[in-house]
Amino acid sequence: MGYLSGAREAAIVTKRQAGRPPEAYLPLPPATFHILLALADGELHGYAIMKGVAARSEGTVRLGPGTLYGALKRLLEAGLVEEGGERADPERGDDRRRYYRLTQLGLSVARAEARRLDALVRAARRKKLIGVRPA
Amino acid sequence: MSPAAAERIYRLLLRAYPPDFRAEYGREMVLLFRDQCQESDLRTIGFWAAVICDVARSAPALRAEAWRSRGSQSTQTTEVIMKLAAMLTVLLGVLGILNAVVEWVAGSTGTIQGMHALSLGLGVFASALLLTAGIALLRPTQGGRQAARLALFASLVMIVAARLLFPWMSVFSQLVGIGLPIALLIALYWPRKSSPVGAA
Repeated sequence: MGYLSGAREAAIVTKRQAGRPPEAYLPLPPATFHILLALADGELHGYAIMKGVAARSEGTVRLGPGTLYGALKRLLEAGLVEEGGERADPERGDDRRRYYRLTQLGLSVARAEARRLDALVRAARRKKLIGVRPA
Repeated sequence: MSPAAAERIYRLLLRAYPPDFRAEYGREMVLLFRDQCQESDLRTIGFWAAVICDVARSAPALRAEAWRSRGSQSTQTTEVIMKLAAMLTVLLGVLGILNAVVEWVAGSTGTIQGMHALSLGLGVFASALLLTAGIALLRPTQGGRQAARLALFASLVMIVAARLLFPWMSVFSQLVGIGLPIALLIALYWPRKSSPVGAA
């Protein structure tokens, strides 16, 4: 691609992203969906998100700081998440922590992903892949 | 191992991340690591294996994203420069035509030899092609870019031919007439990456 297409392409993509339906963001990576699920309950800081994801996944998904904040950075850039200010968590000491919350778009995307996964689970049930005792 | 020593090691590992990312999220990442230290045994290999895996998995991806982001920014700068170059090319094309016309009018008071006339004609054509190339460069389409390449190449050939037939152009005109198409052709053929956009 030549020089004239790079910036124009980025501008077209940015404009396109602004009007993207929630389904355009699917399928979500598992860690991303877990983060959106955790934030569905309200504003959380990084540690609370990490604990929520670990608890919800029964320990199978553990987000390290790099993975968590890398995902949060992408979610912020995509407009699915926004910052909710900084304040101290009384349970975690005096350090001020950045809080994050879902945007309306983020909530819509999370719902769309949940519907997609629900459809997959129903299809798996019809095929008797789940809900059937192993031989 | 003390939590303070563990934190010092983690701060060293944070250098694997891009500087902008560290500046934005480094403090939060250290806080999160501190929280993890409080509820884990720092002496176990499992704890440090998880820390190193997290850095190894996330840092290269973030570095790659930072590279791509810098690439798209330099593409925008390049586009501005090329637009300015296109406007300059249009202007020089117009001036080249005017120059050749003035030379023709000045020469027509005497007698213009055949080679001189042919060279002047080639000069006018070359300037017209330069003008066309400049206009084509201002149109951000694949067809416009291809048309610009062809026009610049043809202009270059005609300027060289005009110079060989009859040296009526000034040194400056020759430098511009030959140098500008070459520079623009190099810019148009220079390989560039498009700027990919990843979803979250």
